Amino acid sequence: MTVSIETTREALIADRPLPSTRPEGHPLLSVEGLSVSYGDASVVHDVGFTLERGQSLALIGESGSGKSTVAKSILRLLPTGESTVSGSVNLDGRELFGLPERQFRPLRGRLLGYIPQDPSSALNPVRTIGSQAHEAAALAGESDARVRRRDILSVFERVGLPDPERVYASYPHQLSGGMLQRVLIGLTVLPRPALIVADEPTSALDVTIQKLILDLLSELRRDLGISLLLITHDLAVAAERAESIVVLKNGIVEESGSSSQVFSTPTSAYARQLHADVPALNPDRYRSQRGAASGTTPPAALPAVEVHAATKRFRAGDVDVTALDGVSFTVARGTTHALVGESGSGKTTAVRLLLGLEQPDAGRIEVAGTQVHGQTSAGLRGLRRHLQLVYQNPFTSLDPTWRVGRIVREPLDRFKVGERAGRARLVEQTIEEVGLPASVLSRRPGQLSGGQRQRVAIARALIVRPDVLVLDEPTSALDVSVQAGILELLSRLQREQGLSYLLVSHDLALVRQLADTVTVLQRGKLVESGTVDQIFARPAHPYTRALLEAIPRTSPGLAQS
Amino acid sequence: MSRSYGRYALLRAAQAVVVILLAYIGTFLVISVLPGDPITNMLRDPQNGLTDDEIQQIVAHYGLDKPVVIQLILSLGRFVTGDLGFSLQSNLPVSQLLGDALPSTLTLAGTALLLSVAIAVVIAYGVQYLPSRWARGVLRSVPSLFLSVPNFVVGLILIEIFAFRLHAFTTIDPDSAAATLFAALTLAIPVSAPLAEVLIANLDHESRQEYALVARSRGLSQARLFARHLVKPSMLPAVAMIALIVGELLGGAVITETIFGRDGLGTVVQKAVTSQDVPVLQAVVSLAAVVFVTVNLLADLASPLLDPRLDAKSERDAKSERKVVVPV
Repeated sequence: MTVSIETTREALIADRPLPSTRPEGHPLLSVEGLSVSYGDASVVHDVGFTLERGQSLALIGESGSGKSTVAKSILRLLPTGESTVSGSVNLDGRELFGLPERQFRPLRGRLLGYIPQDPSSALNPVRTIGSQAHEAAALAGESDARVRRRDILSVFERVGLPDPERVYASYPHQLSGGMLQRVLIGLTVLPRPALIVADEPTSALDVTIQKLILDLLSELRRDLGISLLLITHDLAVAAERAESIVVLKNGIVEESGSSSQVFSTPTSAYARQLHADVPALNPDRYRSQRGAASGTTPPAALPAVEVHAATKRFRAGDVDVTALDGVSFTVARGTTHALVGESGSGKTTAVRLLLGLEQPDAGRIEVAGTQVHGQTSAGLRGLRRHLQLVYQNPFTSLDPTWRVGRIVREPLDRFKVGERAGRARLVEQTIEEVGLPASVLSRRPGQLSGGQRQRVAIARALIVRPDVLVLDEPTSALDVSVQAGILELLSRLQREQGLSYLLVSHDLALVRQLADTVTVLQRGKLVESGTVDQIFARPAHPYTRALLEAIPRTSPGLAQS
Repeated sequence: MSRSYGRYALLRAAQAVVVILLAYIGTFLVISVLPGDPITNMLRDPQNGLTDDEIQQIVAHYGLDKPVVIQLILSLGRFVTGDLGFSLQSNLPVSQLLGDALPSTLTLAGTALLLSVAIAVVIAYGVQYLPSRWARGVLRSVPSLFLSVPNFVVGLILIEIFAFRLHAFTTIDPDSAAATLFAALTLAIPVSAPLAEVLIANLDHESRQEYALVARSRGLSQARLFARHLVKPSMLPAVAMIALIVGELLGGAVITETIFGRDGLGTVVQKAVTSQDVPVLQAVVSLAAVVFVTVNLLADLASPLLDPRLDAKSERDAKSERKVVVPV
C-alpha cells in the first residue's frame, strides 16, 4: 500500500507541467467583491474571502444562499449568457476572470479541481469509468496510455477503492454512490491540483459513507497539500472539517472567521440561529417540550403500533432478497419511535408493511390492536384513518395542479367526514395548527417554500385525526433552519394531541432530538433497540457505533488533527 | 452479457415473427369482409368468355368456395412458403410486381432516411452551438415549420424552384440521380422534424447533466465534450425514433412517387387499390409489416449494445454486489 502511494505521488509530481508563479506570502485563492446576477436578480453580492495554501475553508449557507453560485463562478462553470459576474478571483497569482477561455482551460483540473454533489450523475452513464479516467488523465498532460492506466489504478487504490481493476472496467451504474464519489475524488486529485472545490460532496450519500468520504478528503488534503473549498449547509461538518468558515445568507457574507470563532462565539444573529438549528449540536432542544407527553400514558395501555417478527422477501432477477428479516418493534402511545438505518436497511419495507402496501411473508403487524395484513381494502382504508404518512420529499408528494385547500381537504372527502361546511372549517383549523396562514389555502404547492409544503403535508395527514403519524425522513429535503421549524411543530403537535410517531431516518442526530425509543436496522435485520439514552450512551453493536461516529463532532478544530 | 443478450434477441425475434403473422391475418380478414367479391366479379367479366362451369372450377381450384377460416389457413400457408399469388389485374406473379417496383422505392426511402438523419443532426447541433443566439432561436423553430408543411407542398415547391426555375433536374427522367435526390428530400423534410426535436431535447438534457459540468471542470473543450460525451447518450432515444420513421417513409413514398412521377411501390399500391387487386394489396401490406417490424427489431437489438444500463444481466450483477435491493 505504501509503495503504491509513493508511485502515485511521483507520477503526480512528474506530470505537473504548470509553472506556478507562487508569490510567497500571497494567499492561494482570494475572492474580492464577487457579485453574480441572473438577469435582474442578484444572487451573490460583494462576497470576499481568502484561502491560504494547504488550508481549508467552508462556505456555508442554506439553499438559495448563493454558496454553489460562488463555487461555480470560481470554477467559471456558470451558464454563459444567463449570468453576469463581476469582481475578482485570484488563484495562485492569476486573475481568473480576465483570462480568455483558451488560457483558462489548461488550469481546469490541473490547478483547480471540482468534486460535485451527486456522484451518481457526475460520470457519463454510457462510458466505462476507465475510459473517462483516461480522458481525465490525458487532460492532465500524460500522453502515454500505459502510464495513464498505471496512474489511474494507483490513484483508485489511493482513494480506498477495493479492486481497482474491476472499477476501471465498470460502468457508473454498476457502482454504489460511495464508490463513485471515491472515483470522482481520485480523478480530481490525479493531476494534483492546488485547490479542490467540493460542492456538498457527501449530501447524496449514506451517513456512514459521508464520514468516510470526509475523512478521505481531509487525509488527501494533508498528504498532498491540496487546499479545499468546501461548500456545505451543515455547520457541524464545516466546523469539523475546515479551518475557517464563511457564512452566506441571500448572497451576502453574514460572518466569516476561523472555525472555532464562528462556531463558539458567533457574532451575527444568523450564525447563532444556524448553530441552534443543527441537530447534532443541540441534542436536547425539544426534550422539555416532549417530556410532558411521553410520561402521561400508563405503560400498560395498548401500544399504538406493534410489529412482531415481520419478514419480507423480494425477488430481484434470479436472487431472493430478504428486505426485512424477523424484525420486531413497538411504538408506545404518545411517544416517538425511530427506525434507523441506511439505504437498503429495510426501513422503507417496514413502512410499506405497516401501511398495508405490502404483505409480510411472516410475522404480525398491528396498529392499535388491529392486524394490518389480510385486511380487505375497505378494512385497510379504515385502518389508514388511524395511521397517516408524511412523505420525505414535499417537492414531489403534493399534486402541483391542486390548490392547498383541496390537498388538505382530500382525506376528509375520501373518508366522508362531516358536512361540507364543517370540512372547510376543519381545513382552516388544521392549517392554522401547522402554523400556516389561511391565505395559503388558495395557493398551489409551486408557490410555497419547502418548509411550507411540508407543513401542508403534515396538515393533510393530521386532518383525519390519526393516532399514529409515520414520518418518513420528514426533514431530509429541507434546510436546517426550516428543519428546526418542522421539528418544533411535530413536538408541539405530539404534546397537544397525544400523537404517536414512527420516525424513519438515517440521521441519528435528528433521532436523538425527537425520539424516545430507537430500533437500528442493517440489511433487513434488527441489530439493536432500546431507549434513545441507552443507545446513544452505550451502543452495543459496532454498526450502531459507526452510525453514531458519523454524527459530526461538536467541538471544532478537528480539521488539523 | 452474451447469454442473456442471446435470450433477449431470440425472444424479440420471435415476437417480431408473431407481429408479422398477425398483420397478415388482420389484413386478410379486413379484405374478406369488404363487400363484393373482386375475383368472381372479374371471372364473370364477359370479355373473359368463361362459362359458369369453368368459373366454378377455378373458384373450387383456388378454394374460394370454402369458409373464410380455411381460406385464411391456405393463404397463410402460401405466404409462409413465399408464394404471394398472382395479380388479378395483370396476371403477373405478385412477387415479380413487387420485385420490379421495390428497388426504386427502396432507393427513394433509403436516401430519404439518410437525408432526414443528416438534416436532424445539423439542426440539433446548430441549435446547441451556433454562435448567434438569434440564429439558434430561428433554427429551433425549423422543426415545427417542417412538420406543419405537408409533404406534397414541399414536393411541388422543390419541383417549381429546382426543376422549372434552376433546371437542377428534369421531371422527364424521374429516376435520374438528381431527381431521386429531390424526391428523397421531399420525403425527408417532414420526417426529419420529429427526429430533430428528439435530438434537440436530448442534447439539451444531456448538456445540463452534472457529468457534462464535471467533464468541463477537468478541462475538456466544448467540441470534445459534445463529440465524446453528449452524442452517444443523446442518440439513444433517436435510434428508437428512426425505427418509427421508416414506417412514415413508406407511407410518404406513395405520395412522393405520384408527385415526381416515379414508378415504385406507390404506383403499385395505387393501381391495386383502384382495381381491388386483392393479392397485391395483401402482399404490399405484409411487406410493409415485414419492413417495419424488422427495422424496429434492429433498433431493439441495438439499444442494449449502445446503452450499458439496458443490459439486463450486468444490471442485476451490479445490484446484488452493491446492496440489498428494496423496491420502493
